[in-house]
Amino acid sequence: MDFSLPPDAVAFAATVRRWLAEHPPERFPIDGMDAGYGSGAHSHAFLRALAAEGWISMAWPREYGGQERPLVEKLVLLEELAAAGAPFGPLAGCDQTADAIIRYGTERLRQELLPRIARGEATFWQGFSEPGAGSDLLALTTEARRDGDEYIVRGHKIWSSHAGISTHGLVLARTGRDPRRSHGLSMFVIDNRAPGMEIRPIRNMTGGIYHYEVFLDEVRVPRDMLLGREHEGFVELLKGLDTDRFWGRFYKAPALKRVLAELVTYANTTSRDGVLLARDQGLRRTLAALATELEALRLLFYRIGWMLEQGLPTPYESALAKVLADETGQKVAAFGLELLGPFGALRQDSPWARLGGRLQHIYQTSLSHTIAGGTSEVLRTTVATRGLGLPRDAGGRSALPRDAEARS
Amino acid sequence: MDFALNDQQRLLVAVARDVLDKHCPPALVQELALDPRGFRDELWTNVAQLGWAGLLIPADLGGSEASLTEVMLLVEEMGRACFPGPFIPSAVVATTAILAAGTPAQRERLLPAMAIGDQRCTMALAEQDGSFTSADVRMAVDHGGRLHGTKLFVKDAHLAQHLVVAVRADGHAANGAPAITLLVIDTDRAGVRMTPLDAMSGEKLFAVSFEGVAVTSDDVLDEPGHGGEAFASALRAGALARGAEMVGAAQRILELTVDYAKVRVQSGRPIGAFQAIQHRCADLLRNVEAARVMLYHAVWKAEHGVDDASVAMAKAYVGDACLGVARSAHQIFGAIAYCEEHPLHLLHKRIHAGATDYGDRVTHLESVARAIGLA
Repeated sequence: MDFSLPPDAVAFAATVRRWLAEHPPERFPIDGMDAGYGSGAHSHAFLRALAAEGWISMAWPREYGGQERPLVEKLVLLEELAAAGAPFGPLAGCDQTADAIIRYGTERLRQELLPRIARGEATFWQGFSEPGAGSDLLALTTEARRDGDEYIVRGHKIWSSHAGISTHGLVLARTGRDPRRSHGLSMFVIDNRAPGMEIRPIRNMTGGIYHYEVFLDEVRVPRDMLLGREHEGFVELLKGLDTDRFWGRFYKAPALKRVLAELVTYANTTSRDGVLLARDQGLRRTLAALATELEALRLLFYRIGWMLEQGLPTPYESALAKVLADETGQKVAAFGLELLGPFGALRQDSPWARLGGRLQHIYQTSLSHTIAGGTSEVLRTTVATRGLGLPRDAGGRSALPRDAEARS
Repeated sequence: MDFALNDQQRLLVAVARDVLDKHCPPALVQELALDPRGFRDELWTNVAQLGWAGLLIPADLGGSEASLTEVMLLVEEMGRACFPGPFIPSAVVATTAILAAGTPAQRERLLPAMAIGDQRCTMALAEQDGSFTSADVRMAVDHGGRLHGTKLFVKDAHLAQHLVVAVRADGHAANGAPAITLLVIDTDRAGVRMTPLDAMSGEKLFAVSFEGVAVTSDDVLDEPGHGGEAFASALRAGALARGAEMVGAAQRILELTVDYAKVRVQSGRPIGAFQAIQHRCADLLRNVEAARVMLYHAVWKAEHGVDDASVAMAKAYVGDACLGVARSAHQIFGAIAYCEEHPLHLLHKRIHAGATDYGDRVTHLESVARAIGLA
């Protein structure tokens, strides 16, 4: 066992911190909502600044313009960015799309999209969920039919993050009839500017816009924008989904540590009834307990990162870690709100807001995390069946294949 | 970054599992939990012959100089088997204290016999308030060189030839904490009396009274007032070992519970096919995996001489997570595990014993609170 980072990764962490000091994250213009996952707000400008350092493509193979840096350095980058509260919201989508294109993309996707991703110009939304297909993703009805060298896509996607401010969508659609519901699906990369696309924002309970719904009305997609094999899109998606959950939550522990540090400062500087909050044994103990839980979360994620780097199978680990990340996040947010008392409810622009009014936003967004990307219930079932070998629930879902967990 | 055990460590775990499966079955553990002495000499001799008692002791004193990690992996297996006996107090905690503070003569006198399991030593730390922190040590040697007072929660005192006793010294240590002296006192010295405490775990705990026990300078580890650091490292070792024991016990509970959920049929299907049970089982796995990674991280830090809040975090987290595993397992098993002959309650109570020993959750969270900068 060795819990230390390799010297190169330690040096790289210092480089990132230095760079962040020279490029203060708060100076970058924001163009999309912070959904609270830890990757901050959406900022095209910040993404381009990361690209200028070569950090988007740092782990890619050299033949696609990457530097083949080890995975642990990518983890270090994400951890440092999250700890600084940087607005790198679109990065995870870029990383995952690039990863899929490198693994099984067409030559056209590689030639056209990888350089644009590396420059921070192309960003992505996921078109998986539909109004009738949430946790039961395989109930999706969006269809793509072949027409010569094109597909014609028709359907309705929903809960697509940042769809309105991205350049492309990854759209899962049914391309064939197959009695096995997990087959006959294909994944397409669709340009947001394609005729027939209508992208409508969904205003959420925070007052902001993060999700969109997308109507695809006879949208023509060139055949070589198929990502992966025809009819096997779901099977390939699943391979990515598991690591998706890992990458999409890796930065949560450092981001929550940042929140906790603010709560500690608040407790150290705020009195009630003449007693410093930090001296209240109950509050003190809760803050300490949350700090230990965040440490456990951080270590679990590093362990999965190490497993991925070693090429070890992770049949349930990401599902388990995602559940823990999102539930721990909800605990931190709920406790933070409680610590602030009536001030916790005040929004950013209120003159009386404490801690910049951030806690109410963190609290509200945290509610969506245990739903998005696989609900905690679906994922606990994954852990139980794939991790512990418990029998699949026989209650009416026998047609569901082994891997059929959904995401939104 | 490497989260895997090396070959040597895997071998140690495999041997330990095998030995304990054979010589420490649940029926024996149950029998010893109900027995007032609670000890099987053959079992102790067996494991001593494997060199386990001397793992932390240097080779020139008859030990095998294993790493802290190896010792903790062994204790994890012992926790899995609910191993009865003074391994943690003697071979881990007292050994750590004697190594940290003993003079060469004291080390020569005590450790070779402990390394081969012929003699055992246990720790007398907590007093009336049940606290394992040095600030709460109040007993002191009087001006006539006599020791009066009572230590509580002394594990396996009836099996030990020696006690490491923490007492208050005059003045303060360099870090401002009250100065501590560590004494080694033989259990058969005049004035030492033991009264059993009747604990639910079946672990043999004692109140050890010192009724005017004569103390000489030979009994002092290091110098009077210089025991603070050894006290702290012994506590750290004890917290880690109890943590390892809890993780092992929780792992065993996880396995027993999941195995049961696969075969116990109700309403025409295994209860493990019901989501209500599946989700509980998923949380058992989550708790065990998170507890284990916290423990290993803290062990690694301690082995590398990093003295931060990792041990406190691990002890607080592991205790809470593993107790959660035990309680939820009771719910999954239903009525059957409420029986005395079922092993679950023994594992559960062993975890509870570990969670309170060498600093309970409240104590360790206070250390964490200071480490994260709370005023």
